[in-house]
Amino acid sequence: MGTLETNLAGTPAFLDTSSMAIHLRDVTVSYQEAPVLRSVSMDVAKGEIVGVVGPNGAGKSSLLKTMLGLHPQDAGEIHYYGKPISDSRHLVSYVPQTGAVDWDFPVTAMDVVMMGHASRLRWFKRPGQKHREQAIEALETVGMAPYRNRHIRQLSGGQQQRVFLARALCQKAEILFLDEPFGGVDAATENAIFALMDDLATKGHTLMVVNHDLSVLERYDQLLLLNQHVIAYGPPGEVATEENLRNTYGGHLSLLDKAEHAMKHHLRK
Amino acid sequence: MHILAQLTFKPEYSLYPFEGLPEGLWTSVLVGITCGILGCFVVLRRMALIGDAISHAILPGVVIAFLVTNNTGVWGLLLGALLAGLLTAVLINLVSHKSRTKEDSAIGIVFTALFALGLILISNLPRGTHFDLKCFVFGIPEAVNREELWLMAIIAALVIGTITLLYHPLKLISFDPVLATSMGIPVLFFHYLLMGMISATIVAGLKTTGVILVVAMVITPASAAYQLTNRFSSMLFMAGLFGGLSALLGMMLAYVLNAPSGPSMVLVATAIFALSMLFSPTHGFVFDKLRKLKLKRHIEGEDVLKAVYKLEQHKETASRDRIGSLASLPLERLPLLFKDLLQEQLITLTDAGAVLTDNGRKRALQMVRAHRLWESYLVEHANIPPSSIHPHAEKLEHAHELADEVERTLGYPEHDPHGSVIPKQEFEI
Repeated sequence: MGTLETNLAGTPAFLDTSSMAIHLRDVTVSYQEAPVLRSVSMDVAKGEIVGVVGPNGAGKSSLLKTMLGLHPQDAGEIHYYGKPISDSRHLVSYVPQTGAVDWDFPVTAMDVVMMGHASRLRWFKRPGQKHREQAIEALETVGMAPYRNRHIRQLSGGQQQRVFLARALCQKAEILFLDEPFGGVDAATENAIFALMDDLATKGHTLMVVNHDLSVLERYDQLLLLNQHVIAYGPPGEVATEENLRNTYGGHLSLLDKAEHAMKHHLRK
Repeated sequence: MHILAQLTFKPEYSLYPFEGLPEGLWTSVLVGITCGILGCFVVLRRMALIGDAISHAILPGVVIAFLVTNNTGVWGLLLGALLAGLLTAVLINLVSHKSRTKEDSAIGIVFTALFALGLILISNLPRGTHFDLKCFVFGIPEAVNREELWLMAIIAALVIGTITLLYHPLKLISFDPVLATSMGIPVLFFHYLLMGMISATIVAGLKTTGVILVVAMVITPASAAYQLTNRFSSMLFMAGLFGGLSALLGMMLAYVLNAPSGPSMVLVATAIFALSMLFSPTHGFVFDKLRKLKLKRHIEGEDVLKAVYKLEQHKETASRDRIGSLASLPLERLPLLFKDLLQEQLITLTDAGAVLTDNGRKRALQMVRAHRLWESYLVEHANIPPSSIHPHAEKLEHAHELADEVERTLGYPEHDPHGSVIPKQEFEI
């Protein structure tokens, strides 16, 4: 055992980060040279459910995109089970927010789930019986097997979420990113999705959930309060304080933003 | 000026005699099939404008190839068009990503610029060379030769082969490019692959419909297929079929009407699209109307059933007149409804009128039960005063399969707001 030194990111140095499902250190992300996320650090253990909370423009989707390897980070490291994204793409998957899906696309629930195989199949390879069985198994896990031949438009909001969760399971992803899964669903559906997420977490999946609404914070294992940088990260009981939430949602510019503005102004001169 | 003069559209189709028509016909059919299949990706990925852009923007590529090879050999033109088509796709991508210009404007800027460049190049062609701009713009399928038919056949085989082999990744990048990217699938490569295939098909098909109308062959058959199916594979198949059919019927129509064949093909494709709108199983006017008529008949049948039940309760004979006035239905409508009810064995007919069977009585009771439950629900949950709930419940009672749920929600009430007993599910009253 090492000493209880802590490093800059606040992780005890003796903790082996390679056992962590998710390990972020000082991740900084910019769009068109303007930083949208500064120095984000966090560690998530296997089987935890993390809620990501913050106002519009706080960088929640940028964080998600960066963690999925869709957008490069300027600095910092992102590791899944100790490996960088380039070596662990097969470990991560995402469930898109409802607005990002073309619900008129001619696919059934089963078709959507079958797409999860694409990460493991060669481009020209056709999925076989084995793949179909795995897809049905994933649909059974989320309770959607009876609806597998429905067109995605013919499913309710909660059912649609389940189908996309099944796709992530079919992908055999261990770390799941859910983008606003509770947008436009009723309380009963919200409960059902939470129950399903708890179930997946006990089976060893790690989930990161972008959440808009503040009513369900206590159901997460960890909360990441985000507004361009980490306001607080930890169990909801500790971090969901009124002060932290005010800091997250309060519209005031931080000094860093002011500095950014000032620099741009200078550059233009 | 002389370019514009060339553009004037004089109807001088060399349809008769039919020299070269079989080649033109088969080439058109192949173009129709290939455009239809590729069009599915264009339609689903909302790139309709890109099809338009590529078809116009290949002009400079074709002219430069024409200058370099000094003839209209198809292979040189194909290469020129392919390069120009890909350049268009790359430029559009650059402009829309590296500036604040949105994609639709980027498409407009790029393709008009390239088309303009092509026109300037044509006007500066050396004296004595003849570049048939009219053929480029409007197409002359009658001028298609054997070599061009072969070219189109090879392109069609390549396109269909590629799409069959890469069906799954192509479907994924069209439906969910974000997931595809996160899986490490090169979405941009597949995008350019599709653009390349579209460019090749368009240039090979130019002589059949011309640059302006070829877009219709890409978008219209695919859109028709989109109306009719919920499966991606059947959409590809149907779009190919519609495209080929549009070309075939279009050529025949052109022959009959002595009209230009490109526009005829487009009009046939449009007619197929219009039919698909009418007959779409989910959104189509025809099935929608049929469903509504069927529902109306079902509701009227149930109203008749309830009228017979009420008359029975009052020990009255359920004569046609009484049923008609109670269910407020015209008498001439009754025979049809009786026929339905007889078929379902809910009533029997006597000379005096209608008599309920046991099943019929059960169904009528179900409706009475649903009616009274809905009335209670409306008063309790929708704040509608008891005096005005009847007409609403009169409609809602036809949703009697929901009655149990309503009863549960209300906590199993005994009476409705008017004080009548609500029959239980077991019907012992």
